[in-house]
Amino acid sequence: MATAAANTLFQAPAGWVSATAAKLRAAGLEVLAPVKRQSDVVDLAPLAANNGLATKYLNTLLPLKRLFFPETEVLLHYGQGESKGVALNVPAAPEGERAILGCRPCDAAALAALDLVFKWDYDDVRYARHRERTTVVAFACTQPNAACFCTSVGGSPHGEAGSDALAFLTADGGALIKPLTEKGAKLIERLDGIVQPAPDGAALPAPPAVAPKFDVERVKPWLDAHFEDPFWTEATLACLGCGACSYLCPTCHCFDIVDEATWNRGERRRNWDCCSFSLFTLHASGHNPRPTQAARYRQRVMHKFKYFPDRFGRLACVGCGRCVRTCGAGQSLLNVLGAIEAKGSGIP
Amino acid sequence: MDATTGALRQAAAQLLSEGRVGLVVGYGRFNGTASAAPAFVRRPEDAERLLFDAFCFSNLAVYLTKKEVRELARAGKSPAIGLVVKGCDLRAVNVLLREHVLKRDEVVLIGVRCPGVGNPPLSKCAACDAHEPEGCDVVVGEAVAQSPADKADRYPLVAPIEEMPIEKRWAYWEEQLGKCIRCYACRQACPLCYCRRCVVEKSVPQWVEPSAHLRGNLAWNAARAFHLTGRCVGCGECERVCPMHLPLSALNQKMAKLVEDEYAFRSGRSAEEKAPFSTFAPNDPEEGIL
Repeated sequence: MATAAANTLFQAPAGWVSATAAKLRAAGLEVLAPVKRQSDVVDLAPLAANNGLATKYLNTLLPLKRLFFPETEVLLHYGQGESKGVALNVPAAPEGERAILGCRPCDAAALAALDLVFKWDYDDVRYARHRERTTVVAFACTQPNAACFCTSVGGSPHGEAGSDALAFLTADGGALIKPLTEKGAKLIERLDGIVQPAPDGAALPAPPAVAPKFDVERVKPWLDAHFEDPFWTEATLACLGCGACSYLCPTCHCFDIVDEATWNRGERRRNWDCCSFSLFTLHASGHNPRPTQAARYRQRVMHKFKYFPDRFGRLACVGCGRCVRTCGAGQSLLNVLGAIEAKGSGIP
Repeated sequence: MDATTGALRQAAAQLLSEGRVGLVVGYGRFNGTASAAPAFVRRPEDAERLLFDAFCFSNLAVYLTKKEVRELARAGKSPAIGLVVKGCDLRAVNVLLREHVLKRDEVVLIGVRCPGVGNPPLSKCAACDAHEPEGCDVVVGEAVAQSPADKADRYPLVAPIEEMPIEKRWAYWEEQLGKCIRCYACRQACPLCYCRRCVVEKSVPQWVEPSAHLRGNLAWNAARAFHLTGRCVGCGECERVCPMHLPLSALNQKMAKLVEDEYAFRSGRSAEEKAPFSTFAPNDPEEGIL
């Protein structure tokens, strides 16, 4: 049996993803892989005969976070009990081992940021269980696009953060696979017969170029000193205040808790929420401490590039570029950060 | 630079320098790419940033009701906003005027004769009968030949769905609306979704479930389609900005077709028109209840 020692590189032949999925499923795992859903839409979903594996894709439409922190999830069922009183029923924590094949390194890196939040002052049970039960095998990026900026926020198309193993797909449909954690090594061990140690001298490809978009070291000093600045209004006029950027963001993690009920029973749910919404900070009194879109957009930038680093020592942005690509109003985080960098460098 | 862009810049610079508007909302280059994005111009010399080409998708009328944009105009020489509009976008302005959300003197309309946007052109452009923006204060661009647009061409997305057997149709909408993540990009990009507090944000009582499950998504998208019935001008912005690619134009076309069939009414053709659902008439036969 192959033993996945650290620094050992493995190789897999053409068709390895389907074979891996079949083998892991037979062992009782849930397997999620990139599946083509519409012409240009790829998502992580169970592989099946009628929804084949996608091999050429920039990234999944929705971020990896949703498999750990879904857009909506039930925290509690409640209802009128048989006798007087209220019956509460907490749904079972997510269970069953699973493997995710084919997320991008940027999305996996976001898990490292989310871990800091969801395991911070309170160990979020549902998130933690999802993390424990999941082995993440990222596919190294081959064709980043113009909106990608992982290299400007400390990442790389071959970034290893957050992944248990990193696979480099080869042109013939095979792969070189690098285990990164104990979990990743164990998964590779289970793939005996599909995956085997690569011959000595097998070399990983060089990462594709992702042009630097801004110098993040120059962003934070400016943010530290400019909570109040006319720039925020100037730079955010196009923003329409929807949640597309946040909901597609692999690191945005704000949520709302709502009760949805009929007259005698209901569910308490945790739903994604977003600081771009005016409702997000609206007080019951009617007062809104973030009364303008400028204040709300500033919060989004500050949270990712100032507050999160202040508290956790790392950025809350992995440079996947989804926010830039998805915004229908052309409100580009890249433009905003570029302008801030210029200000931080003293360039007028 | 083509002639339309040149004329547009000249018109914007003139409006700003004459003090007729405090702000021009138009299109500019996006991030050094071929795409265009909304541009906000306050000084005549900055009119050079404006352009018009086949990538000017946004319906900029949405910015007329945006507080920050109104305030920016008020800080200029005149509180009026100069708005660059294609013929299709203009219809949304007409509805804002009709619904008394906007006064005519609060906006100076810079119409652009638009041959259609997108490469390939958007489907709405194929059936466009608004190449010529009517009733604008300034019009730029070369005249575009108007092909006769037939009613049947206006709602091409309706028939393919109506032809589905009901089970298949339900499965279709289940799949499509099941994807909705409730980011409300559709609502925020819509020039006619200007309610200060959207019904989905009301929690006492909670009319629409806010969770992104099928039940909530169905309620939200149906509520939105109903609220836009007889109002929607078919600009297609909701569908364009939807990150999940929901076929929202199909919903809107279905409702618009019903309104045209029942009331011979198309929304946004003028600011003076009487809209079916907001007009009282003593002789209303009330036959058209949807």
